[in-house]
Amino acid sequence: MASLRSPSPGGSVEDAALRTVHLTKRFGQKIAVDDVSLTVPAGAVFGLVGPNGAGKTTTFSILAGYLHPSGGRAEVLGFAPTAVDELRARLGVLPQDALLPAQDTVGEFLVHMAELQDLPHPKALAAARESLDDVAGRDWWNQRCGSLSHGMAKRVALAQAFLGEPEVVLLDEPTAGLDPRVAFEVRQLVKAKKGRRTIVISSHNLTELEETCDYAAILDRGKIVASGSMAELTAANQEVRIQLAAGTRRGTTPGEVPVSRVRDIPHVTTVDLQEEQPELVVGFDRSQTDAEAIIGKVLTVLLQNEVRISGVTKGRGLEQRLIDLVG
Amino acid sequence: MRAMSPLVEIRLVTVRELRRSFRSFKGVLLGIIAIAGGAGVSMLLAWIDRAKRESLPPGIDIEAAQEPFFTASYGEETGKAIAACPYALWTILVATLWLGPLLISLLDYDTVSGEVQHRSVRFWTVRTRRSSYILGKALGAWFSVLAVTLGMNVIVWGVTIGVGKVPPAQVLAWGARFFAVTMPISAAWCGVAVLVGSLFRTPMLSLLAISAAFSGLWILRVVAGLSDWPWLAYAYPNFYDSLLLSPRPSTVALGLLGTGAIAALTTGAGASLFRMRDV
Repeated sequence: MASLRSPSPGGSVEDAALRTVHLTKRFGQKIAVDDVSLTVPAGAVFGLVGPNGAGKTTTFSILAGYLHPSGGRAEVLGFAPTAVDELRARLGVLPQDALLPAQDTVGEFLVHMAELQDLPHPKALAAARESLDDVAGRDWWNQRCGSLSHGMAKRVALAQAFLGEPEVVLLDEPTAGLDPRVAFEVRQLVKAKKGRRTIVISSHNLTELEETCDYAAILDRGKIVASGSMAELTAANQEVRIQLAAGTRRGTTPGEVPVSRVRDIPHVTTVDLQEEQPELVVGFDRSQTDAEAIIGKVLTVLLQNEVRISGVTKGRGLEQRLIDLVG
Repeated sequence: MRAMSPLVEIRLVTVRELRRSFRSFKGVLLGIIAIAGGAGVSMLLAWIDRAKRESLPPGIDIEAAQEPFFTASYGEETGKAIAACPYALWTILVATLWLGPLLISLLDYDTVSGEVQHRSVRFWTVRTRRSSYILGKALGAWFSVLAVTLGMNVIVWGVTIGVGKVPPAQVLAWGARFFAVTMPISAAWCGVAVLVGSLFRTPMLSLLAISAAFSGLWILRVVAGLSDWPWLAYAYPNFYDSLLLSPRPSTVALGLLGTGAIAALTTGAGASLFRMRDV
């Protein structure tokens, strides 16, 4: 389990795929990253979350070796991110807004990148073809990178990031600017690669991160304001939220929410009916039960009282959590 | 784990840079202009050379006729050594030396800055030592320039053989020698171009800065000639042509050392600065 508390470094160093310790980056007077310490466990899918200017792309760029830190340090698999020799075949990166070289064909570009990972030409060729197949781009091999659409270029860049099966992959805004279908395919690809390597995703798309990531850190104004497992961050293992039909009120007559009966359910710790939304928020003791058991019991009580239910969620959702934290 | 040799990295980046140069519209256009221009001018020069040789008074050979001019240009020893060369080839050598910086600045100004501006460089910095990237870029730029100038030279040699009255073996020998003189000098110019060009994120700024740096070096040469600081001329790559044309091996070695030092120092400085900067 990742323990990611700012500012002190957390998590087991031995199991860490990436680590930052009191990481700071200044651009002139502006502090973009301010004393950030985090540990990403090996094999995790980790999200960097935050509003614009929060410092996530800067943190990402330091981890990718693009930027030099002004203070503190960053490590990838125990090495400085600029230690190319140690990391060339072990770290893959999808940079944000980096244009593919327009004159190269897709095949030439991927083979060149694979060869720079120290693969001999026949293996580089095979790795490039396999990687391009993974992003459903087999037909683009002879196409010039400069002639690709935005979505195609993003997928080629993604193929480049996963080239040669690296142990750590950093993805900066992997679905930004993509149409929903391509974005879905990219998410599926990332999910398919999950578990076999450590993946760090920096993104504005919170639904995507919630769906994909095991852990996340929320940054605001260069600092980590919250971090932990996705369940902890969204309180998915502490509360359930039941969205109710408009006009639903507290009470015991049919169609109304019997709050006291819900409170009597074993291991329920808090019950809050927000009548404006309207939404019923039920907290529970996670050491005694889990969200699924509580959902079943609460729904039974509500349905017995003929309450009209429009939806059920575990926790607050990452988006709500971010809004709570950074406004 | 075995570390990948920097030489392999440099080779891969160099080969890719050559491909990039000759696929770009700019590279193709400059190549065509240089080669077609060289062919046209060499036709005229070869014809002049032929007329000159045909109009020599009896008993005067071309070497004797040209010696005063070359002696005045390069000093007695070197002047005598190259006095027998075909005039067309020497003119192309001078043109290559003078127009080389222009060709290099136009061909290489975006070699690094273009990839920094569009952040494409980030695909490389994860997999290549930054010093290898810059050295590969510098070598790729140099080879691109050599390929264009060699293409131009080969056409000039062909035209000189076809139109002129000089035996082919002599044309090829003089041509190869003059081309060899341009090689270390263009390496020095390319080093300067890569150093200056890599400091900027915008290709247009990079072009202006390279042009300013080249002009600055030329001004140093002029100042060296007019002042008590003749050593300033050593910073100007074209200064070394007279050393490289010398019949004396030690002087040629000095020319190679000077141009090699400029190329090595500028490329090394470019690599060091690039390693320290954010991309």
